[in-house]
Amino acid sequence: MKINVMQDVLQANDRIAAANRQLFKEKHNLVLNLMSSPGAGKTSLLEKTAERVAGKLRLGVIVGDIETTRDADRISKFNIPAIQLTTGTECHLDANMVSSALPHMELDKIDVLVIENVGNLVCPAEFIVGEDFKIMILSVPEGDEKPLKYPLMFHESALMLINKIDLIQYTNFNLKEAKANARKINPNIDIIEISCANGVGLDEWVSWLMAKYRDKTDGAGHA
Amino acid sequence: MHEMGIAQNILDIALNAAGKEGASKITRINLVAGELRGIVPLQLTFCFGIVSKDTIAGGAYLNIDEVPVSGHCDSCNSDFSVNEYEYVCPTCGSTKIKLTGGTELSIKDIEIE
Repeated sequence: MKINVMQDVLQANDRIAAANRQLFKEKHNLVLNLMSSPGAGKTSLLEKTAERVAGKLRLGVIVGDIETTRDADRISKFNIPAIQLTTGTECHLDANMVSSALPHMELDKIDVLVIENVGNLVCPAEFIVGEDFKIMILSVPEGDEKPLKYPLMFHESALMLINKIDLIQYTNFNLKEAKANARKINPNIDIIEISCANGVGLDEWVSWLMAKYRDKTDGAGHA
Repeated sequence: MHEMGIAQNILDIALNAAGKEGASKITRINLVAGELRGIVPLQLTFCFGIVSKDTIAGGAYLNIDEVPVSGHCDSCNSDFSVNEYEYVCPTCGSTKIKLTGGTELSIKDIEIE
């Protein structure tokens, strides 16, 4: 006997994500889901961001890693509340994992919550966690063709940061090509070239962040 | 390896639906998977075999219908299929397009005994 089901497979995840989103709205948190491959510079970006927004925006971070608390330890040094989720074998964070971290964060004292996803260009793009925006880092050594190989992540992201731009002279990375590839998949994607090593582009990134925070809270935030 | 989590979700939904009908066995699950979801059928089938073992869905056939990416142009109102993930209207060149297919991931129906 055949029975109709017609149910979204990730419905359970999406329901929890909606609840997270509601909570973030009440707490006036701008929430970013930060994704990239391993080693692209997610944690470095957060460290540099923490320095630049100190006194202007209060950051909070949820870090997903398969093992170790190294990333949360790095971020905590900046006096930023950071919670590490070790995912074991899971290659991404889902809404339920993020939800489990929230009771441990003082969301009232956070303006921008960054969810640093597990380093992976595939799976994290599949799961919404309640974020306002997905943003991603593509680093120069990875190659300019990555948008074509991992289209979903580039399609889902509101912003692509091209990190390690200081290394471009040592590689065959074609900047024009990288941007064209990303815009082909996502014509509306914002792109900022940065270097966490020498600071290039970080002011522009912080402006992007501040603008999104203002848009979200529209004066109702606590900053 | 997001297939393991997805397999578990498929199993939960199928068991719930079968439970409501008082089924003793699930023999087939028909899944619709958009191309953008990046599902690897072989891997998903393998993971489903692991999570469904020792349940009434153990041994069920997981049928995966892949849906290509398609779009609708808001500028000229045409419908088209998206090739090579190029989100541009092939008729008028507009980038004001909506995806109409390729992102779905749902269980259509199941067969039970």
